[in-house]
Amino acid sequence: MCESNIMNREDLIQKWLDHNLNPQELEAFKQLDDYDDLTRLDKHLKGFKADTMSTDNALDDVWNTINSTQQKKRKLLPVLSKVAAILVICFGIYFYITTLDTEMNTLVSQQKSVTLPDASEVKLNAMSTITFNESRWDNNRTVNLDGEAFFKVAKGQKFDVKTNIGTVTVLGTQFNVKHRENFFEVTCYEGQVKVDTNLKQHTLLPGDSFLIIDGNYIATEKENLSSPSWLNHNSSFKSIPFKEVISEFERQYDVTVSYDQRDANQKFTGSFTHNDIEIALKSITLPLQLKYSKTDHIISLKRE
Amino acid sequence: MSKPLKDHICEEQLFSSIFKKYSKDLHDFLYYKFGSQLNPQDKMQEAFVKLWENCSKIPQDKAKSFLFTTANNLMLNEFAHQKVVLRHRQTKPKHSTNINPEFLLQEKEYKAKLEKAISNLTEAQRVAFLMNRVEGKRFKEIAELLDISTKAVEKRIYGALKKLRKDIDEL
Repeated sequence: MCESNIMNREDLIQKWLDHNLNPQELEAFKQLDDYDDLTRLDKHLKGFKADTMSTDNALDDVWNTINSTQQKKRKLLPVLSKVAAILVICFGIYFYITTLDTEMNTLVSQQKSVTLPDASEVKLNAMSTITFNESRWDNNRTVNLDGEAFFKVAKGQKFDVKTNIGTVTVLGTQFNVKHRENFFEVTCYEGQVKVDTNLKQHTLLPGDSFLIIDGNYIATEKENLSSPSWLNHNSSFKSIPFKEVISEFERQYDVTVSYDQRDANQKFTGSFTHNDIEIALKSITLPLQLKYSKTDHIISLKRE
Repeated sequence: MSKPLKDHICEEQLFSSIFKKYSKDLHDFLYYKFGSQLNPQDKMQEAFVKLWENCSKIPQDKAKSFLFTTANNLMLNEFAHQKVVLRHRQTKPKHSTNINPEFLLQEKEYKAKLEKAISNLTEAQRVAFLMNRVEGKRFKEIAELLDISTKAVEKRIYGALKKLRKDIDEL
């Protein structure tokens, strides 16, 4: 009996704690010795109630906080992206400018001297263009050439001259590269020059020439010159098709030459000066027994 | 199968309803656990702001745990294990008929003992007990909020009651 009473008492208190007393149980609970004690405790415990808060006001606060932080983010984002865009553009321009190739070119009847970053010298003949990259020069001595140029290369790493027909590689020497339409000639004056084309690879010693015309390799004899003749305002040829001679003539005098196409592939040996057009014309016409007539910038050559 | 819950709570209406459902319980939980010094309402609101910021990552059924964990962590960041003292408010209207100096003195003494006794409860006991006694929550509701079993809640609350009564008698 006593046992079950105790069980009952604990049970009742548990149910009271859980707000789960039915009316009969409540009556039984009220009969407990410690009923007064428990209700007194309960009454006083209510005094520890947490601060009351208004859920609606608190929710408004939360929305305000959320909106203000989002606005900050929204405002910040476009500014940041603008800054980023400007930086990217600036960097891009800087990068573009510093890696941009330097280009040098000459007009008709013009010659030009160019000094490369490592003090190598390049002399450009008329109607020629070279491009090279100044910022990467230390690692990469490469010059792109379209036309004719004489190179005096300072000693150092390998030095490449690139043309559409082939690449000329040297370590430090003097050589001439002539690259015109369907015409590619390399002449070595000092040191060693390696020529690499699709057609043929060849190493030139001083006096050697390498010649490709219309896609054919042409063997040439040794020449004993210290520099190309054009540097002395003179163009000289040795068994070169007449059409190449005329092209060179046109480049040096800014004229248009018309001639009989039957003469185009005649071999020509000789030279002409760059200083006097009358003498020059005689130099190229007499050996082939041609006559010339001249009006302004047009010259026509006829067979006698 | 219950209806599939929405994947996330980035919808203003859904968010507001979650707020209305849990804000008070969360606030009370923080209050009873950490006291009023660390501003439970601020921490509660901060937890909801964090819930919104992460709304796309949190499924609806995880929102409650996220809120309680986040708010609890926010509190712990500030809380340097001071002893939590919950103040008894003088909210009871004085019964004019009962003004009897001896009775008032007794009441005052009792309140002081109660404060002391509550501060001697363990944190887990205090939180569960006050949510039960003061906020009138049933064991099952508390168990859901705290992610513990009903049996554990029962144990904590009954243990708290026994300890309180013993302490008050001894003091």
